[in-house]
Amino acid sequence: MIKIAIYGKGGIGKSTVTSHLAAAFAAMGKRVVQIGCDPKADSTMNLLGGRPLTPVMDLLRDGAEPERLDQISATGFGGVVCIETGGPTPGLGCAGRGIIATFQLLEELDLFGVVKPDVVLYDVLGDVVCGGFAAPIREGYASQVLIVTSGEKMALYAANNINTAVEQFAGRGYARVRGVVLNRRNVPDEEAKVRAFAERIGRPVVADIPRSDEINLYEEQGQTAVQGDPALPVSRRFFALAELLLREADA
Amino acid sequence: MKQFSVNGSIYAADTAGVCSALYELGGMTIVHDASGCNSTYSTHDEPRWYDRESMIYISALTERDAVTGDDEKLIGDVCEAAARLKPNFVCLCASPMPAMIGTDMDYIAAGIESRTGIPAFAVRTNGIGTYQKGASDAFRAVSRRFCARETEKTPKTVNLLGLTPLDLPAGADETLKALLRAHGYTVQASLGMGGAFDDLPKLAGASVSLVTSGCGLAAARDLYERFGVPYVTAFPVYGKYAELVCSLLATAALTGKCVDACTMRPGRGVNAVAGEGVTGGSLAAALAMETGEGWDLIAPVEGDPSPTLPFDLRPLTDDETRLAMGRYERVVADPLYAPICPPRTKLIELPHVAYSGRCFLRRAPDALTRAGFETILESVK
Repeated sequence: MIKIAIYGKGGIGKSTVTSHLAAAFAAMGKRVVQIGCDPKADSTMNLLGGRPLTPVMDLLRDGAEPERLDQISATGFGGVVCIETGGPTPGLGCAGRGIIATFQLLEELDLFGVVKPDVVLYDVLGDVVCGGFAAPIREGYASQVLIVTSGEKMALYAANNINTAVEQFAGRGYARVRGVVLNRRNVPDEEAKVRAFAERIGRPVVADIPRSDEINLYEEQGQTAVQGDPALPVSRRFFALAELLLREADA
Repeated sequence: MKQFSVNGSIYAADTAGVCSALYELGGMTIVHDASGCNSTYSTHDEPRWYDRESMIYISALTERDAVTGDDEKLIGDVCEAAARLKPNFVCLCASPMPAMIGTDMDYIAAGIESRTGIPAFAVRTNGIGTYQKGASDAFRAVSRRFCARETEKTPKTVNLLGLTPLDLPAGADETLKALLRAHGYTVQASLGMGGAFDDLPKLAGASVSLVTSGCGLAAARDLYERFGVPYVTAFPVYGKYAELVCSLLATAALTGKCVDACTMRPGRGVNAVAGEGVTGGSLAAALAMETGEGWDLIAPVEGDPSPTLPFDLRPLTDDETRLAMGRYERVVADPLYAPICPPRTKLIELPHVAYSGRCFLRRAPDALTRAGFETILESVK
């Protein structure tokens, strides 16, 4: 089973990258689970025809006590099982604890045993800011981390923080950084900046995603570009990343 | 989630369950917390506290340690203490604060083990769950950790599983040993009262296990799945019921099949026992056998894994419990259920440490003994 957590600066395109990667895996016949770990709860929207999924935290807040996976998940494009942790009422509660509580619920509901996924993707809010946001990279959850960044200064700054945080956990058996996904914003010298960063942290750039109007076009239709037109150059980049990760898993 | 009570008490916390389960095994049990749960556990939930030493500790977590995520402090403190105390193992469990901030207790346990060479593990708690979950997970954890190899089964031997004083009377281990001895059995190993660390590897070699409370069910299932040790689920209340349980032990050992004796009761009755599932269900079965009346079970411990019958009730709030008790003419329950029990139902008091702590210990009859059960029988007439 491939289990990947995707981190990056807020607004850098983590959910876009994650849902396109999920769609690529699914189109290749893989059983995929995508778990959005963000109070915004919009990670899986483009796998679900643009419909938002009720987050687990909303269900818990309303007093529900889910007993089955189908009460907290929805099936999207290519059979991707979509789950959103969501978050507490803004300004109240604890979003990190919400992730932990959701993960414990998923364990109780035997997510991996019931779904038997080939691929699990965790789309994680911004940064590894506390114990809750490190939960996806703990033993038993993700085993690899992909860091999404552009060539913008603050995106690279956040990427560096994420790498440092993840590497601090190296002795704990947590997930390790597999590589960097360059999500282009078309800033000057973008590729050189990101490759220099990747080289400095000793990790490869595993995908180079061009800035694409097609992504926005298909997002407006509530789908990913992979679903809308698999032959597009941008779609093929996601297929290439999926193939790379599958090849490694097989090896 | 529904665990709240306005008029009654609440059941002991999962951390107290862990401490209670491991109390006699010679390990260090550390609740990662500021300090409050120390007095709750020692003064309310642990009848052995003043009679018998045990290495139960609180980590003295500070706000600064919590917000800075200083796991190293706990690791260092435990290593230093363990070097002096030389425990058989170290067990960690979390109170609400570390559970909220996602403290990685498994990592801390691994760090302690790698530095001291002493087996260390964490039991997942949050200080909010019930004692049953904590005790159950702790029993299963030591069973899995210290009973790893299959051994040849010894005929007429029994494991006693789930004997915590939160559910069972003090000295229940000795009473049960005497009962089993009278029927030709010897006790192979115990989880709970009377348990010994060195006996844990022998758990795999018993011909049968006796699960005396819901706290022992997870370990029993684990031993059954890994080593084929069948189990009988029953709290052998004195008299005809205890005789039945002993005969079922022989049946289970012979057939290799597990038996739930706490559900061997006739259909819906006009009386009920409210409490933990195995002890309460067994008492209901024993009362049914002795009185000829129907006795049901009201099982209000959240997440109680004990087997129940379809007409048994599982209330989780005061209102649900009041409605449940109101269906019966007589209900045997802890005295602290008095404010919840409706006036038309007669409450027959039977103290339960997991619910009322040590408040009523002195007047708690021991249902495993003749005198104790006769007291209960007299009170239900």
